[in-house]
Amino acid sequence: MSDELKPNVGEMYLYDVMTPPLPAGSYRLDASTAVTIGADPQDLSGGSGYFDVVGPRFTLPASEVGGVFPPHNGRGSFSHSIPHIALKRRTLPWERPLNGKAPSNPDPPTGPPPWMALLLLEEGEYQLLESRPLQEVVGNEAFQRLDSPQGVRCNAVELDAGLLDDILPSVEELQLLTHVRQVNPEDRELSAVDSDGWFAVVMSNRMPRPDAECRVCLVPLEGRGDPVKPDPPPVDTGFRLDIIAPFGEPEEGLASSERALLGAPGGEMILRPMGHASFFLRKERLVLLYSWKFFNEGFASFRELMQRLDVAMMGTVRDDAAPKVADTGHLPVKLQNRDGAEEHVLYRGPLVPFPLSRDPLGPYHSADQARRVNAETGAEDVSYAAAFETGRLLAAADGRLGQELLRWRQDAYRHSVRADEAALIVRNLSLPQALDLHAPLVPVVATRTMDRVLEGSGPRADSYGLRPIDKVPGLNPAELRQAWNLSSDDAAAAILGKPGDSVTPAVEAPAVTGRAPTTIDQVASTAPLLDHLDRARDRVLTNVRVRLEEKP
Amino acid sequence: MRIATILPREALRQRMVKPYQVGATEPEAKLPPYLESFLAHLRLLVGVPFEYLVPDPRLLPTESIRFFYLDRSWTDRLVDGAIAVGKIGTREQAHHQAHAPAVTQQLDITERVVRPLQRRLGSFGSLKSGARRDSGDIVTGFLLRSAAVAGWPHMDVRAYRKIIPELREPGQPPNPPAADPNDAKVRAQQLLTLRLERLAPAVLFALFEGVPELVVLEEPHHGVQFGVREINGRLRVSQRDSHGSQLFSPSHPDSPLTVEVPVRRGGKNVIGVAQLYKKLQQEPSIPPQTGGGSFALQVLNPPWRQRFEGTEDHSEVLEGARSRVFVNVAVQVADQTVQNSFLRLIAIHR
Repeated sequence: MSDELKPNVGEMYLYDVMTPPLPAGSYRLDASTAVTIGADPQDLSGGSGYFDVVGPRFTLPASEVGGVFPPHNGRGSFSHSIPHIALKRRTLPWERPLNGKAPSNPDPPTGPPPWMALLLLEEGEYQLLESRPLQEVVGNEAFQRLDSPQGVRCNAVELDAGLLDDILPSVEELQLLTHVRQVNPEDRELSAVDSDGWFAVVMSNRMPRPDAECRVCLVPLEGRGDPVKPDPPPVDTGFRLDIIAPFGEPEEGLASSERALLGAPGGEMILRPMGHASFFLRKERLVLLYSWKFFNEGFASFRELMQRLDVAMMGTVRDDAAPKVADTGHLPVKLQNRDGAEEHVLYRGPLVPFPLSRDPLGPYHSADQARRVNAETGAEDVSYAAAFETGRLLAAADGRLGQELLRWRQDAYRHSVRADEAALIVRNLSLPQALDLHAPLVPVVATRTMDRVLEGSGPRADSYGLRPIDKVPGLNPAELRQAWNLSSDDAAAAILGKPGDSVTPAVEAPAVTGRAPTTIDQVASTAPLLDHLDRARDRVLTNVRVRLEEKP
Repeated sequence: MRIATILPREALRQRMVKPYQVGATEPEAKLPPYLESFLAHLRLLVGVPFEYLVPDPRLLPTESIRFFYLDRSWTDRLVDGAIAVGKIGTREQAHHQAHAPAVTQQLDITERVVRPLQRRLGSFGSLKSGARRDSGDIVTGFLLRSAAVAGWPHMDVRAYRKIIPELREPGQPPNPPAADPNDAKVRAQQLLTLRLERLAPAVLFALFEGVPELVVLEEPHHGVQFGVREINGRLRVSQRDSHGSQLFSPSHPDSPLTVEVPVRRGGKNVIGVAQLYKKLQQEPSIPPQTGGGSFALQVLNPPWRQRFEGTEDHSEVLEGARSRVFVNVAVQVADQTVQNSFLRLIAIHR
C-alpha cells in the first residue's frame, strides 16, 4: 500500500481486509532501559503507563459515514440492489474482536472477521429503541464480555430472534461482505470529496422486496458470538413446499426452517423439537450504530424497462386502430375553415422520420402564406401555417418580447433617419468623407462649419440695398444708354449729369455763433455775471422751499 | 416652426431604395438579447404545446422511444410567426424580409446556447461568445415515454456520430474503457446535446446536433452499486475480471458469463453469500477469490447503459400499400388513358 498506488479518477482499488496496527482497547506501555558500562549492567528503573485506543463502539457519528446506497429516503426500483454503507475509517470493521466460533470451511476468506453487519429490515419487522442502557440491550452475558462499560446508553433495534437467525450473515459471510475501497480523492462520482479516498464498505446480504419500505441497520456484533453462526444456513434448492403450520399459527409467524422441502429430489425435511415456538417468539436486541430508510418502488429495473422499449422512428404506428400516417409523415386532421365548414387537411409536426431540406422561400409574413396544397393528393397541408400561428401566439403571450421586437425595429428606423440626415449634411457642407454614424455628429459638423467661416466670406453683400437702385435706368448710365439707344455711356452720363456739373448751388453750412470761454475768476470779477449767479441760486432755493411746503 | 432636416419625399425615396433601413452588419441591426434568446428557445421547440409535436397520442405509446429528424422549415416558421407580432405595415415587412437571412444565421449559432442557459451555466452573453460559430447542421432527437423517465430522473443521455463499441475482448486492460464518456477520443465523437428535458413526468425529449449512429441512455450514477441481475427468473451475477470488466463466453462472444446466486431458505430474499463464494471459487476465468474485495468485484452492479445503434433512414423505404393511404392523384390525372375514359364519360352524359 504505497502512495504510488493511487487510482485514477473513475477507478478504484478493492482490498479484502485492512487490520488496524493496534486494535481498540486499553493498553499498558512498559519501558525499560538496558545500559552496560564495561560489561557491567547498570540497574536503571523502568517506567510504565496506560493508554486507550478508542474508536466508535456503541454509536457512530454521522460524519463517519462516507455514503450509503440506496440513498437515504430514496425512492426507486432497488429490487436487485444490495444495500451498502461506506465508512470513512478504513480499519473500523476490524478494530474490535467478534468472538465468534471459527467456521468449518477449510478454505476461509483471508483476514479476521469484522465486528459489524448491515441488516436490511422491512417495515413491521423491527422496532427502534432510543437511548437505552447498554446492559438492557445486549444482556448480562455479553455485557460482561464487553468489560462492563458503565453509563453507556445507545440506540437499539429489536426484532424476532427467528428473523435474525434467517438474515444474519455467518462469520464467513461477514468477511465476504466487508471490504476496503480506495478511490481518487478528486473523484466526485464516488463521493470521495473531503476524504483521503479510503473507505471501508459493509454490504448487506438481503435484497429489498418489491414495494417495501425498508430500513438498513448497521449493527455491531462485538462480543455477540451467540447469534452469529459459524456456518451459513442452507440455501433454497428451488423446490419449496410449505407444510401446515404447527400450532395453527399464521404462516407469517413461522421461522424459515418451518418451510420444509418435501418429496422433491434434493429437498429435505427439517424437524424441530417441540416447544420451539418460544424460540421464534423471543425478541433479540442489537445495538444500532447507524440506520437509514429507503422505499423500493416500481416493479422493473432501469435495465428491464430499457430492454422492453418499443424502438422506432417517429410516425410508426403499431396500433391498427390508430390514425393512418402518410408515408410523408402527415396525419389527416379535421379543421373548421373560415366559412365554418369542416375540412380534411394534413398536418405534420416538427418531428419527422426522415431528413428534410430547409424551405428557402422564407421569411413568411402571414400564416396564409405558408399554407400549401399537396400536389399528390390535392389536400391542404397546414403544418407550416400551424407552426407560424404557434410562434405568433407564443410571442404575443410574452409582453417583454413585444417590447423588444419594437425596440429592434425602432433602432433600425432611427438609425435609418440618422443616416439620411448625415448624408444631407455631408452634401451641404461638402465634407470630404462620409460621417461615422456611431460617433457624435456635433463636433464634426461644428468644426467643419468653423473651417468654412475662417476660409473667408467672399464678396461683401449689398448691405444698404443699393444694388437694386443702381439698376434703375434713371440712375445708371449703362441702363439709360440701352433704354434710349444712345451711342455711348458718356452721352448717357452727360444726360444724367456728372458730379460737379450740378445746376443747383452748393449748400453752405450755417455760421456758428462764437462764445468766449469763461473762467470762475472772470465771473467773480464781473457784477452782472455775479447777479445772474445770485438769481439762479435764489431760484433753486425757492424751488426747494415750494417743494418742501407742498409736502404735507 | 422648425423645418425638417430631411424632406418627407427624400425620406420616402431613401426607404424605397433601402428597404432594410439598416445594414445587417450595423450594431443597430443586432437582435436584442432577450429577443434572440426567445427565438433560439423557439427553435428548439421550447414552450410549443405537446399536441403540436405529437398530434396523436398513439404515435407515442407507453414504453416506447421514437427517433426523429427535426423539420427546420417548421421551426423557421415558428420564428417567422414570433417576429410577425406587431408587424403593422410594409415598413415592418420590408425590415423583416431584409433581415431574415441574418436572423436565421444568428439563431443557428444561438440555439447551441439554449441548453447551457437552461442549466444556468452562465449568462447569455458569456455563453454566446463561447458557442461554436459554424452554420447549423441537421438536428435529430428522440421522444421517450417510459416509466424509466419518471423513476430515474437524472439519466445520462449521450449521442455519438459513430458507433463506439463497448469493451468486449476479455483480458485486455480497459484503460480507458471503450465507452468511457470522459475519454478524449470518445468525446470527440459525441454530438452536441441541444435540448434534454422532461416534457411530462414520464416523457423525455432530446435534441442533438447531427445524425447519431449511437444513442446511449445510462442509468444515473449513485456512486458504486452492488446488485444482482434477474435472467429468466433466476438471480445471477456477471463474472468479472480483475479490472471489473464483464467476461464473455469464449465460444459466444455476445453472451456474458454469469453465476447463479443461491438464496437462503425462508423466502426473505437473503443471498447465500458463503455458497455464492464457493461457486465463484470454482469458476476458472475469474480472478482467485480471497475475501471481501474479490467478492465485491463480482457483485458489482454498474449503472446500466442502454445503447440504440444505427438509426435507420426511412426516407427511401416505403412500407407497402397498407400504410400508403393517399392515391397518387396527380399522376393518375396525367395518365392519358384515364383522361380518355373520362372524356368519353362526359360525352355519354351530354
